[in-house]
Amino acid sequence: MNSAAGSSTDGAGRPRPNRYVQLVRAAIRYWALAGGLIVVGLVLLTAGSAISNLIWNRPIPGDYELTKHFIAIAIFTFLPYCQLTGANVTVDIFTEGMGLRARSAMLAFASVFAIVFALVLLRQMSLGFEDYLRYPETTATLGLPLWTAFPPMLVSLLLLLAAAVITAIEGWRGFRGGRPGDAAPVAD
Amino acid sequence: ASAFAQDAEFTLKLHHFLGPKAPAQTKMMEPWIKSIEEESGGRIKIEIYPSMSLGGAPPQLFRQVADGVVDIVWTVNGYTPNLFPREEVFELPTVFNGDIVATNLAMRDMFDAYLSDDFKDVHVLFLHVHAGQALQMTEKAVHHPTDLEGLKLRVPGPTGNAVVEALGATPVTMPVPDLPQALSTNVVDGALIPWEIIPALKLQDVTKYDIEGPDNQRFGTTTFQVTMNKAKWESLPNDLKEVFDRNSGEEWLREVGKVWRDSDNAGIKIAVEAGNEHIVLTAEEMAEFDAALGPVVDRWVEERSAEGIDALALVEAARAAIAKHSSK
Amino acid sequence: MDASFATGIAGLVVLLTLIAIRVPIAYTMILVGVVGTSLQSGPSIVLYQLKDLAYAQFSIYDLSVLPMFILMGGLASRCGLSRDLFRAANAWLGRFNGGVAMAAVAACGGFGAVCGSSTATASTMGQVALPELRRYRYSPALATGTIAAGGTLGILIPPSVVLIVYAIIVEANVVTLFAAALLPGILAVIMFLLTVAIYVRVAPGAGPRGEPVSRGEFVSATVAVFPVFVIFAIVVGGIYGGLYNPTPAGAIGVFLVAIYGFARRRLSIRDSIEALLETARTSGMIFLILLGAALLSIFMSRAGVPQAVAELLQGSGLGPFAILALVIVIFIVLGMLMDSLSMIILAIPFFWPVIVDLDFGMPVDDLKIWFGIVALIVVELGLITPPVGLNVFIINAQAPDIPMRQTFKGVMPFFASEIVRVVLLVAFPAVSLWLPHLLRG
Ligand code: NA
Ligand code: NA
Repeated sequence: MNSAAGSSTDGAGRPRPNRYVQLVRAAIRYWALAGGLIVVGLVLLTAGSAISNLIWNRPIPGDYELTKHFIAIAIFTFLPYCQLTGANVTVDIFTEGMGLRARSAMLAFASVFAIVFALVLLRQMSLGFEDYLRYPETTATLGLPLWTAFPPMLVSLLLLLAAAVITAIEGWRGFRGGRPGDAAPVAD
Repeated sequence: ASAFAQDAEFTLKLHHFLGPKAPAQTKMMEPWIKSIEEESGGRIKIEIYPSMSLGGAPPQLFRQVADGVVDIVWTVNGYTPNLFPREEVFELPTVFNGDIVATNLAMRDMFDAYLSDDFKDVHVLFLHVHAGQALQMTEKAVHHPTDLEGLKLRVPGPTGNAVVEALGATPVTMPVPDLPQALSTNVVDGALIPWEIIPALKLQDVTKYDIEGPDNQRFGTTTFQVTMNKAKWESLPNDLKEVFDRNSGEEWLREVGKVWRDSDNAGIKIAVEAGNEHIVLTAEEMAEFDAALGPVVDRWVEERSAEGIDALALVEAARAAIAKHSSK
Repeated sequence: MDASFATGIAGLVVLLTLIAIRVPIAYTMILVGVVGTSLQSGPSIVLYQLKDLAYAQFSIYDLSVLPMFILMGGLASRCGLSRDLFRAANAWLGRFNGGVAMAAVAACGGFGAVCGSSTATASTMGQVALPELRRYRYSPALATGTIAAGGTLGILIPPSVVLIVYAIIVEANVVTLFAAALLPGILAVIMFLLTVAIYVRVAPGAGPRGEPVSRGEFVSATVAVFPVFVIFAIVVGGIYGGLYNPTPAGAIGVFLVAIYGFARRRLSIRDSIEALLETARTSGMIFLILLGAALLSIFMSRAGVPQAVAELLQGSGLGPFAILALVIVIFIVLGMLMDSLSMIILAIPFFWPVIVDLDFGMPVDDLKIWFGIVALIVVELGLITPPVGLNVFIINAQAPDIPMRQTFKGVMPFFASEIVRVVLLVAFPAVSLWLPHLLRG
């Protein structure tokens, strides 16, 4: 489940990276890092609650529901980064054995799935957001409204769409030009 | 029912969260469905999808039926906190008096005048409660509210939270399947949950004391709904609507009460046979609990009133309606 | 055969075809699930579900443990624990024939105790042990095969990401499964060590002995692995002892590894950011597959496919153990094509309903555990079998001069050893059930 497909491709031989694309890439990376920080926050919350429970016999109120709420948000922030760095393709190690053009075609093909998925989910989850505003369900202990998860999830889907468009273009270019079409890792 | 399957005019999907062998399915939903299918002369067929097999998590059930993803659901109202603010009154300790049938009937009586606003987006077939939250403790025999101070108790939902806090204990939320492990490893000292769950989770192996009030009095309960998608309901011809109504009326609610009472009794029987002590509080002891739990109702009234609901009237009407049916 | 069921079977064929032509498995499952359900009952139903299905599917407390353990493993990979483990294991075992390979196996086992993923274990240990194995002129097959196989200990020895996912699918208790995996994990280490010993006996020269170490090095190397034991004891021991749930245990693990890494100045902020991004990639991938599985299972259960599989196998007249053997063979074949996690997520919902209705002379709770451990070892096999063996690829990528065929050849003896282990665990359920029963009291 690791970066076997993440063979790094430096800029050599590629068209000069578009400034806006670079900006979107950076945004996606920082967005995933923000999700990572949510996980760190949950680490502190759950570990703190467990230790408080052991020592003072009192868990932190609402730790359970906060974990449920924020883990969903965090996972959504990861999805665009997964798409951009090719994490989802890793099941598919066979591509190593394929030519560059075939690999690029695969990337473009798979990116189309991701684009459709992001578009459909963006539309449906916007409707879902309205539903959660209309039926204002809350968490049990702290009364935190569940709709609060939707804005960050919708932003994540927008970025997923952007990521999929980027990988689709890369795949297409690679296919046309025979250059490596792997979603280039943005980790520097 | 399969003999009718070919000819059914209306095939309805019923979705719920328990397994196919749970008494809620075998003793409640299946007989109800069978009767409806037969009375409809085979024009209605209801397919049961247990264990969330049509997708989603249990809190999604209400939205699924409201949206028409499924046609009928059986679900716990407390799974979606805040969505049924009026119906919640029946979950409150001291309002729920341990009489399942009386509470089922009270909810039916009060539906049009008091509760229907909670269910605007669905058609309610029937509402019911389970036998009520009892205390199941690992090490501590409980006779007074003070016995619970500083202990940790697993709670079933928002109302349970308030109950446990009012008793000076700490509420802990966890999925039901994790309960046996949590009890056996002292993550919690007990749970607020009915007897009916005992066989499924083998709670008799991890608890020693089972505590309830006299005459099955409990510390609040859980309310359930069986609801149909509104558009689907509207699409049924009147004679078929009547089939549903006839099979979901007073007689049926009494039967539902009996089903839940029987499975609750079966649960405590297993615990007692396994050597657990079944503590039935005296009237005086229960009065201590009721006194401690009074503020739960007051606070509920205060919070719901702030939302523009006439919560005090709800409490009074619920108490009166339950009393009316209890005395019969 | 009704239309819905036919759609279900067609969906399954499309699914396997798309996977075979290398479409990402998560999107394949999502596509087949959504299109299939739409064909059954119109698109509106599934579109309604999508309004909050992804949210519902991700907002599950038990799943929050996954990013915790992934992050813990990511940090552990970056703070030199693997180096300490290998050094200690080498001090103990290096002097024997094949000793450096044995040390690699033992270190993989030790790393598995703080890392929940096999590929992470393989790649981390590969970076440490592969150069050493080559320095001592181990045969390329043995050198790479050992680590590829040893890496599988990452998911067998608790904590284990795959076990967590299995527990969620069959609604089993993660704690019990972690307990059940401990003895089979230790058994696996012992059998892998024996495999190396036999290997170097059959092929002398494939694994020369290493240099004996000085007494001082022996002591200091041994002392250096102490933190690994402490972390394992606090995290997994705390779970076994019921001090906390797996999610807080994972959180405490992250905390401990981070403290260790920062205190020893082995972990930089940059490393931590990389670990977070790795957690993002891995968790995102897993959750997307879980979402795909949820959509696929809506389609499949409406079509009645799992029920039909169960009826087919139950009506086959085969006994319980013959059906189990058949299921294991199917898993091994699927494992050749898929990674372990996708396989668990895809296949268990079809085969668990079959297994649960068979009489193996044990209660359902025990059956969940026992079958889970057997399934875990079988999917482990998938990591080292051709044509798609993830661990083999990872190790091979670290030694580009060694032909892939050599690595696959090198893992074969370990593959045989795993088959023997599967048979042992099927024949003696006590190996997996003893500790859970003990903990349950
Ligand atoms: Na592990
Ligand atoms: Na494989």
